[in-house]
Amino acid sequence: MDFSYTDEQESFRRELRAWLEENAPDGWLEDPELPDDDAERVEFLRDWQRTLADGGWAGVHWPEEYGGRGASLIEQTIYREEMARINAPPQINLIGINLIAPTLIEVGTEAQKQRFLPKILSAEEIWCQGYSEPEAGSDVASLTTSAEPAGDGEWRIDGQKIWTSYAHVADWCFLVARTDDSGTKHEGLTAFLVEMDQDAISTEPIHQPHDDRTFNQVYFDDAVATDDRVVGEVDQGWDVVMTLSAFEHGSTSIYSIEQRYLDLLEYCRTETRNGTPLIERDRVRQRLADFDARIQAAKAAHRRNVSKQMETGTPGPEGSMDLLVSDELRHDLLNFAVNLRGPAAALWENGHNAFDDTSGYIRSYGAWIAAGTGDIQRNIIGERVLGLPKDDKSKTSHRSE
Amino acid sequence: MDARLTDEHERVQETAREFIESEGGIDLARRQIDGENVVDDLWNELADLDYTAITVPLEYDGFGEGMVYLAALLEVAGRYALPGPLPETAAVAVPLIRDLGTEDQRSRFLPSVADGDLRMSVAVYDDETEPLPGGIRMGAERRGDEGTTEFRLEGTKTLVPYAAETDVVIVAARTREGQGYDGVSLFAVETDHDAVEATRMDSLDWARPMYELSIDGLTVGEDALLGPLHGGGSALVTAMDRFSVAGTAMLVGAADRAVELSVEYGTEREQYGQPIGRFQAVKHRTADMWVDMQSARSLVYYAAWALDEDEPDAARAAAATKAFAADRLHRVFGDDIWNHGGMGFTWDHDAHIYLKQAKSWRNFLGSPEANRDRLIDARLAAERNR
Repeated sequence: MDFSYTDEQESFRRELRAWLEENAPDGWLEDPELPDDDAERVEFLRDWQRTLADGGWAGVHWPEEYGGRGASLIEQTIYREEMARINAPPQINLIGINLIAPTLIEVGTEAQKQRFLPKILSAEEIWCQGYSEPEAGSDVASLTTSAEPAGDGEWRIDGQKIWTSYAHVADWCFLVARTDDSGTKHEGLTAFLVEMDQDAISTEPIHQPHDDRTFNQVYFDDAVATDDRVVGEVDQGWDVVMTLSAFEHGSTSIYSIEQRYLDLLEYCRTETRNGTPLIERDRVRQRLADFDARIQAAKAAHRRNVSKQMETGTPGPEGSMDLLVSDELRHDLLNFAVNLRGPAAALWENGHNAFDDTSGYIRSYGAWIAAGTGDIQRNIIGERVLGLPKDDKSKTSHRSE
Repeated sequence: MDARLTDEHERVQETAREFIESEGGIDLARRQIDGENVVDDLWNELADLDYTAITVPLEYDGFGEGMVYLAALLEVAGRYALPGPLPETAAVAVPLIRDLGTEDQRSRFLPSVADGDLRMSVAVYDDETEPLPGGIRMGAERRGDEGTTEFRLEGTKTLVPYAAETDVVIVAARTREGQGYDGVSLFAVETDHDAVEATRMDSLDWARPMYELSIDGLTVGEDALLGPLHGGGSALVTAMDRFSVAGTAMLVGAADRAVELSVEYGTEREQYGQPIGRFQAVKHRTADMWVDMQSARSLVYYAAWALDEDEPDAARAAAATKAFAADRLHRVFGDDIWNHGGMGFTWDHDAHIYLKQAKSWRNFLGSPEANRDRLIDARLAAERNR
């Protein structure tokens, strides 16, 4: 048993750290701040991702032949640690980088890989993911958006998607639609790559509680996709969904949570209440220490998981534990951070931008829901890890519900 | 990095499990609870399997292994609430003698421990309501003339695990006035002396009996002093960290079993026409038990590794382990009782054995609150040095 990094892994860290010091956006290392204006922010983030791509740091986990570094899971962990350390700006095309590209690499055609991967990497084309529907949330397999063959190798798509992050700026959508409704709900689904720039597609932003509008409703009214945009086999889309979902559960945000905790610790050292530093209050110390222990536990668990995956190659359902623990830890931490602000907890912190605790605390309610709610993660642990009996409903046809 | 147990660790776990099952599994603990002393016979068997030699250095007939190896074994022991001073001997006493002992002390104790002829425990508290280090009060008065040094120990130690079933107890005493751990010295005291008497206390956990150890003016020579005079405190702190991690390893093994019991019952037991494990109230509670158990296990492995490797954050990791696991694993056992409904609240169901063990460990050697205090101090110090 060994929790430490090898010299080779440490040199990967040094290389990345040196690159970040040279290439982080101007002034970022001293004072990380994103533009307030929505359009400016999108441009800023596109630029950042292009810089990362040029340096070979956008898709480190991709194979080298597609512009990645073929980074091992341990190197990916180091990558997350280092990015968290400088509170690096998010990658605007993260959905493309972390979910869609790895899925294409695994099940896409060579033509699809050649056509799409380079532009995912450089954020020249931004991607969104069309899964959830108004009547298909946690139960995503019951979706009803339909795709029907329209001759000449074309498909016509009709229906509505919801909670679609970045659809308002996306160039492409990784869409799952129903192509056959004669079987059970997991049968007859097909995954498509759909170009967003067509009149038959419209998006409508959803106003979220933290006063952001990155979620959308997306309407498909006879939208078109061609045969060469089908991912995997027609009617076998559930396999593709599962492939992508494994990538969704394989990543961790524990390192950015740890950085947020360290920032809060520094705040408690310097901020005083009635002349006493927060850090000298027993109640504050006890809560901080509990967060510290939870973070250490999650990190050690993540390292155990990564070590296991290094051998098995695939993230197991244990990824649900990481997601659940991280989401609840982040929520509790930010909730506490807001409480520590004293009567000022009644105010937005600072223009509710991306690094604002108040926004983050409200956003953390959404994070618990995204990628499968905490309840769904507990179902996955209960059923797939522990083998408890499944709910009857999970097997029935979408039509009979 | 490979943060998993090695194949060898897993083989040890498998062998230990087969052995304990063949001896009756958790019935060993139940027999101990019913008043039988199963420790003597069991210890001989453990020695035959070399478990008593695990942490003893190679040159003293041991295996020279550390906390990781031991934690892997203790997980299995904990699954059966296995009676016997294995954590006390292998996680506390042996490393103390290994690290502090003179050549004479090492040769006197370590090979006998490895062989299974010598069992050890540790006595720190003088007052069961006073936390450490204030709870260390016994005085050891230094005497003797030129050339000879003697110490006279006087007082009553309390909360000494298995004192009557052990041959040597490492006793923390004060050799001079001091604050905290300053002035604390450690002595290896043989229990078969007339001046030493163990009296069984009314322990919450009957499988792990605690004793009062009265020492009535016992005079020991310099060869009983373990480590530097007045300066045993820092070694004692590390020893208590090993002890806590070892105890938590046992509780993790027990929690793993409690999750299994809840899953079995949730699958078999039917109410309202279906297995109760299909209800999300039970399913989610059981999932949370598993998450807490895995989290605690991850901390135990990390802390054990950090202690073995002398990592700079070893003490912090041990504090985090205790701070995290104490109440959460306790809740795992409580949840197992509730998942079993009325059946859970019977003497026959094993959860109460684990629950009492968890409660006995909770404040022993430092409450989670005290460990959170240590943890945050250690974190602040580490951040200042970054």
